[in-house]
Amino acid sequence: MTRVKCSKLRGKKPDELQKQLEELRQELNTLRVGKVTGSGGAQKLGKIRNVRKSIARVLIVTHQTTKQNLRALYHGKKYKPKDLRKRKTRAIRRLMTPKENSVQLKKLQRRQWAFPQRTFAVKA
Amino acid sequence: MGPKKETKEASASAKKKDTPAATTTATASAKKTTKTAGNTTTATKVVTKERKEKVKSTALKAKQRVVRGNQLTRKRKIHTKPTFRRPFTLRLQRQPKYPRRSVPKRNRLDHFAIIKYPLTTESAMKKIEDNNTLVFIVNIRANKPLIKQAVKKMYDVDAEKVNTLIRPDGEKKAYVRLKADHDALDVANRIGII
Repeated sequence: MTRVKCSKLRGKKPDELQKQLEELRQELNTLRVGKVTGSGGAQKLGKIRNVRKSIARVLIVTHQTTKQNLRALYHGKKYKPKDLRKRKTRAIRRLMTPKENSVQLKKLQRRQWAFPQRTFAVKA
Repeated sequence: MGPKKETKEASASAKKKDTPAATTTATASAKKTTKTAGNTTTATKVVTKERKEKVKSTALKAKQRVVRGNQLTRKRKIHTKPTFRRPFTLRLQRQPKYPRRSVPKRNRLDHFAIIKYPLTTESAMKKIEDNNTLVFIVNIRANKPLIKQAVKKMYDVDAEKVNTLIRPDGEKKAYVRLKADHDALDVANRIGII
């Protein structure tokens, strides 16, 4: 296995990705055994890094596609899992929404309707 | 309520009496007024229908009271002990409206992560030959039962027992003694230690 590419991984199905992940991890295991027994050469030792990074890539793609699908699933719903909600900052999340902010007393509403700000113009 | 009742009575009287509509409606309305004044025997069918409903409802209420028990008079419980303990109340299970985490955490200590690599030192070799045990360097957070499971999953061998120690350089070493029906030498060959 020369180099696992993310673009190729994204096309695969989740079970295929899982299988590939298992294969890669087995390979890593054998490489590590080889490292200890001294059987491998520089080739094999260099391969360890590639395999580790490939495993990382598979995991990334798996996680990204799962997250993407979940976001699509929860899109528009009222209650989403907390990690799918906007992160922003803690304080901002606790602020009032623009709608809540714009709520006015009935008294004020009536007054504004009855006595709006008038603009006058002086005729030249 | 008024007009509705009239139409009902009109239809009822029309059905039962089979006379031209105009006169019956007139008579029906007339009957209604007379009925409110006092009980009339002429419009019997209309009255009895209403009466029936009333009787039914009172009967139903009486039945309900018998079944449910009158709320006004209740039995008082007798307490025979001076202490009052909180009675068992209903405890409902959680029904969350959304999972807190969208994706459950993946197990980071799976069997690939538990067993790092086998040892191939001289003493380890001796263990393989003499004591039918394999020696592994293992994740420090793994415990004996987990190591047993991991070895079984990775190499298809049953372990009789697992002994662990933590090396001075911070790694965990596991001596995995295999069951008598497995040969450590064969397994070691298979793995690649030799």
